[in-house]
Amino acid sequence: MSGETEETFIGGQKTLVVEEKVVLDKEYDPEFVAEIVKYGGRDVKTCHQCGNCTGVCPYSLKTLYKTRNIIKMCQLGLKSLVLQTPWLCATCYRCYEHCPEDINAAEVMIALRHIAVRDGFIPDFIQRVTRNVRQYGQSVAPAREVEILRTQLELGPLSYAKPRYGKTINEVQYIMRAMGYDKLVHVLDEKPKEKAAGAAADQAAEGEVR
Amino acid sequence: MAYGLFLGCLIPNRYPGVEWSTRYIMNKDHLNVPLVDIEEFSCCPVPGIFYSVDKETWLTLAARNLVVAQDEEVQLLTLCNGCYMSLHKAAETLQDSKKRSEVNKVLRGVGKRYTGEEVPGDGRVKQYRPVQVKHLVEVLANDVGIDRIEKSVTTPLTGFRVAVHYGCHYLRPSTTHTIENPNRPHLVDDIVRACGATTVEYDEKLACCGAGGGVRSHVKELADALTADKMKSIQAAGADVIVTVCPFCLLQFDTAQLTLPGINTPVVHISNMLALAMGADPLFLGFDLHNVSVNPILRKLRRRTTA
Repeated sequence: MSGETEETFIGGQKTLVVEEKVVLDKEYDPEFVAEIVKYGGRDVKTCHQCGNCTGVCPYSLKTLYKTRNIIKMCQLGLKSLVLQTPWLCATCYRCYEHCPEDINAAEVMIALRHIAVRDGFIPDFIQRVTRNVRQYGQSVAPAREVEILRTQLELGPLSYAKPRYGKTINEVQYIMRAMGYDKLVHVLDEKPKEKAAGAAADQAAEGEVR
Repeated sequence: MAYGLFLGCLIPNRYPGVEWSTRYIMNKDHLNVPLVDIEEFSCCPVPGIFYSVDKETWLTLAARNLVVAQDEEVQLLTLCNGCYMSLHKAAETLQDSKKRSEVNKVLRGVGKRYTGEEVPGDGRVKQYRPVQVKHLVEVLANDVGIDRIEKSVTTPLTGFRVAVHYGCHYLRPSTTHTIENPNRPHLVDDIVRACGATTVEYDEKLACCGAGGGVRSHVKELADALTADKMKSIQAAGADVIVTVCPFCLLQFDTAQLTLPGINTPVVHISNMLALAMGADPLFLGFDLHNVSVNPILRKLRRRTTA
């Protein structure tokens, strides 16, 4: 265990802090940089580790995850070490505004999120919001008190309660299904049609995530 | 060109007062900006989820909303930084013909096709430009004009000390079409001053509220820790009220303060503030749903108007 300590910080997030760590062959993924580029990140190899991104990053000040270190780990192909980190980014793009090499660390984080999801790291809230969008066409579920206030303010019903909105919800569901998004985040039809029922069965066989 | 009102998800479902205020300030007695209501809009979709998980799905869902605007021949008016960035970025991305045809292949399944908005050309070849996506602040400051806002103010908010929070995606990432200089923004400050209030400078004014990018949903304590820092500097600056231009920042400031003992500064959306300055009855602004009571500023306003 020498060189590795586990630290806990705000929110109970744990991380392996790497000190004088020897990179083992099995941790090194030579394709990782290319994978990041595939999902829309820039070539992280051009980062010269100036640290501007870290100085302006609101979360680097609060956690042990430093933007610069994550980019360095990406350069080294240490995929397993960075896949827990991408959800700790506000995508505020301050790093991008201050990067002399135009790396856009926020977009690298987004590419890492793409990779993490495809590797099975799917945080609960992704599924929760996806379900809301499937059901209501909107990412936020309606609340009773708000609907009462809307009536008092004469603002009319929420979208989902309008008779013609079903068409919009169907279109949204169609697009999510056609893009394979449902399957990607493991949120499948609540009322499966024939084809979707097959997919749901496949899903059950694979094992439910969370 | 008329404005299609894009409310997004949070405003109708959590802060209906923002919707009411926007309709109020834009009506013909005040700024007289006609708004077109369109039922068919879905979630923008939210960048912290869809853009982060699958960019292709994000682009297609956003394109669907853009097609709705394109077919209704409106430009989009967004009241939320998330909607603004998501739709604006999608419209820019769809300038790429390869991306456009990929998206259109899927959209064909729902009977839609994105071309962009048709512009007058030489008559031989049809010409298009991306569907225009605008933020409320941009419309107020550039299309309506600060002068007209000043003239419409009937209840000047003199003596109010306002901490303006711009939020990330109004300012960044900077592209060729960014509303204003992301390092020296001033439009929201200008609008607040047009209401008669003064704006205060505070540390980390341009920093994130803490909620963005899915962090609020994922590690709430971390988001709140960031808000706590901002709140401390806002309080040190002696602000009466925080003005945001995004309902998600509003939600974060409004809920995170519950975890911060001794800190409670009311938070309102820019449209709420304008509605107050244009003489709206505060009962209609939906402040009942705010966690941090807005009453201190309402009392101050009442004292001033009755004095």
